[in-house]
Amino acid sequence: MKKTYYLLAVAFAGFFLLANTQRSVEGKYGMTVGSPEIKSINSLAFGPEGILFIGDSKSATVFAVDTKDAKQAEKPAEVEIKNIDQKIAALLGTEVDNITIEDIAVNPASKSVYLAVQHSDGTPILFKIDGDKITPVSTKNVAFSSLALNDVPDEAAKDRRGNSLRVAAISDIGFADGKLMVSGLSGKEFNSTFRSIPFPFTDKQDQASLEIYHAAHGKYETLSPIRTFTTAQISGKKYLVASYTCTPLVLFPMDELKAGKHVKGRTVAEMGSGNQPIDIVTLTKGGESYLMMANSSRPVFKVDYKNIEGYQGSLTTPVEESYATAGVDFVSLPVTNVIQLDKFDDSRMVLLQRRSNGSLDLWTSSERYL
Amino acid sequence: MTNIKFDRIRPYLAYGLILFAFTGLPGCNSDSENDKIRIRWEGKVAEGVYVPRTLTHDLPDDSVGSLLKIKLVDSDPSFSILGDYSEDTKAILFSPIVPFTRGLHYEVVLRNERIGTFTVPLADAADAPQLLGMFPSQDTLPENLLKIYLRFSQPMREGKSDEHVFLVRGDSDTLRGAFLNLQPELWNEDRTVLTLWLDPGRIKRDLQPNRLLGAPLQKNAHYHILVSNAWKDRLGTPLPKSYAKSFVTTVRDSLSPLPKNWKMVPPPGGTTQPFRVNFKESLDYSLITECLSVEDESGRVIKGKWQAGEEEKAGYFRPSENWKAGKYVLRIRTVLEDLAGNNVNRPFDRDITDQNPDPRSTAFVEVSFLIAHPTPPKQ
Repeated sequence: MKKTYYLLAVAFAGFFLLANTQRSVEGKYGMTVGSPEIKSINSLAFGPEGILFIGDSKSATVFAVDTKDAKQAEKPAEVEIKNIDQKIAALLGTEVDNITIEDIAVNPASKSVYLAVQHSDGTPILFKIDGDKITPVSTKNVAFSSLALNDVPDEAAKDRRGNSLRVAAISDIGFADGKLMVSGLSGKEFNSTFRSIPFPFTDKQDQASLEIYHAAHGKYETLSPIRTFTTAQISGKKYLVASYTCTPLVLFPMDELKAGKHVKGRTVAEMGSGNQPIDIVTLTKGGESYLMMANSSRPVFKVDYKNIEGYQGSLTTPVEESYATAGVDFVSLPVTNVIQLDKFDDSRMVLLQRRSNGSLDLWTSSERYL
Repeated sequence: MTNIKFDRIRPYLAYGLILFAFTGLPGCNSDSENDKIRIRWEGKVAEGVYVPRTLTHDLPDDSVGSLLKIKLVDSDPSFSILGDYSEDTKAILFSPIVPFTRGLHYEVVLRNERIGTFTVPLADAADAPQLLGMFPSQDTLPENLLKIYLRFSQPMREGKSDEHVFLVRGDSDTLRGAFLNLQPELWNEDRTVLTLWLDPGRIKRDLQPNRLLGAPLQKNAHYHILVSNAWKDRLGTPLPKSYAKSFVTTVRDSLSPLPKNWKMVPPPGGTTQPFRVNFKESLDYSLITECLSVEDESGRVIKGKWQAGEEEKAGYFRPSENWKAGKYVLRIRTVLEDLAGNNVNRPFDRDITDQNPDPRSTAFVEVSFLIAHPTPPKQ
């Protein structure tokens, strides 16, 4: 009799275990629980309900990971960590030289800052920062889903389909209107790629593949890779606001970004060459929106979206003066050497900045920049 | 990342067995050995550290993580190293998230007291990485050269190319900003091949960077590419020497490769000798092996291996099995480029105001060739 009870108990336990497994398979956003094989973390972006998107160039895959960090912060603590690179190096038992901070992303709900670090041996590490606390984020046994951007088909299939939109490096990812957008550069052939991928990811891989170019100053097109982008509402219409490696600011109407379309953008500003855009975000204050842009060799720029709305032209004539700028007006903020930037809330940013004393600091801006 | 740890479980077990075999050998003073703090090696990588129980005394298993800390010597006590602990009866094994760094000193701290130290030795000089090649391998290159490939013997540190690769004009004029600053850098999967782009915005005629800064290379000039010996591999061992490649520039190449002009050199049937295709110009080192394939008459892909030939002016295809006599097709992906980024479909600098632009947008072009019957052996 005891044995029967025992068997029944085991059967029940098994049933519950199975039921649980089943639930996880059909989990939120089609995610399953497991340990994603993330080979590198080059870009981070938050989606809905604490879902963190990870752009992995090494495996040419985007991952969606449920951070379970979806609680709205009532009064979020402002982030402020001095010498963050040295602190992370110490936590990893190594020297600053051996680590690179690849990207930061602020969870829009909890306002925690997530930070992707790469060790010199290639190991990616994800950290979470609250106030002045740095904690590692495990990606073991988490709810996740993934989508390969570069499904390497077998030899015969490759020849038949001509998989020409391979992405070798993901330059930026962003989430808007239920879609994950991924910009990238192929490592070998000269081609930039941009994809808009519906989330939850589907097996059909019906993401839009776009070849975007902008005819900047002259008659030769460029397939220059998009370095960073954001989305914004301009005159009631949604736009992708993208910045290229040679720093022009280009607008693409979101409703034109459809599969297989060759979309031509409108260049609205030249912000000087010899410079690389690093990150762009859109902030708002008192009903006004601003585009904030961090640069490799320039201070942080602020562009009033009203000026972009008002500027209906497209730059077609070259800027003659060396390192000059043209198009929409912008303001240079007194903040230089910003390496990473993300939106903290509607009117504030989190910045990773190399200070003039050499210290690499993570800090939260005040509203006074708007 | 933690998932990497997951993959390493099996080697851990194997190592444990080897360790057991060693410690179990009779008469080898295992007691004194077991009293020492020892690094756990996985190949050349310091994956963990064993802290013997004799040093931790009565430390309860459930407090190991909170009371036993590993940190860099003399570092801030609040920044102990992140990692996992595992215990057995003789030692506690600490495995950091990333391996210990060569040449650094660490300390083991129990209840805020230092109980021992260890140092991870510098890597053996014999394990130093090598730069195996810089491509294109020619020493005369078009002034609108687009890409350079560096091939190393071992995985290298990423994100450092701007500190270690220089383009020098003449003997001393280092050209800043010649290479496109890309983050992440374009490495292959095992981090042995790096693609560097000469800034395409400066090569494309009429783009703002081209107008303002000029093209990175000028015609009829001498250049060197220098790779510094300060570049370290992933284990922290630097290149044993600096490397240099000299070249001179010639005229701009604005023409697409033309497969119909290529020369096919088919081998005799019944052998596995390579099929050779002469491009009559240098093509992109990396794309040659990726963009070409051979099919038989019924469209089956012939298995085998492609290799770039001398000065990347030829490609060799060695089949896995003997060639059978018959008709074959060389199938070329049109993304195949020459040294200046002109691909089979379109030149790099395409005039978009041209009313009759590029007529081709096919994914492939094909050129056929014949393999003859094996020659019968002479009597």
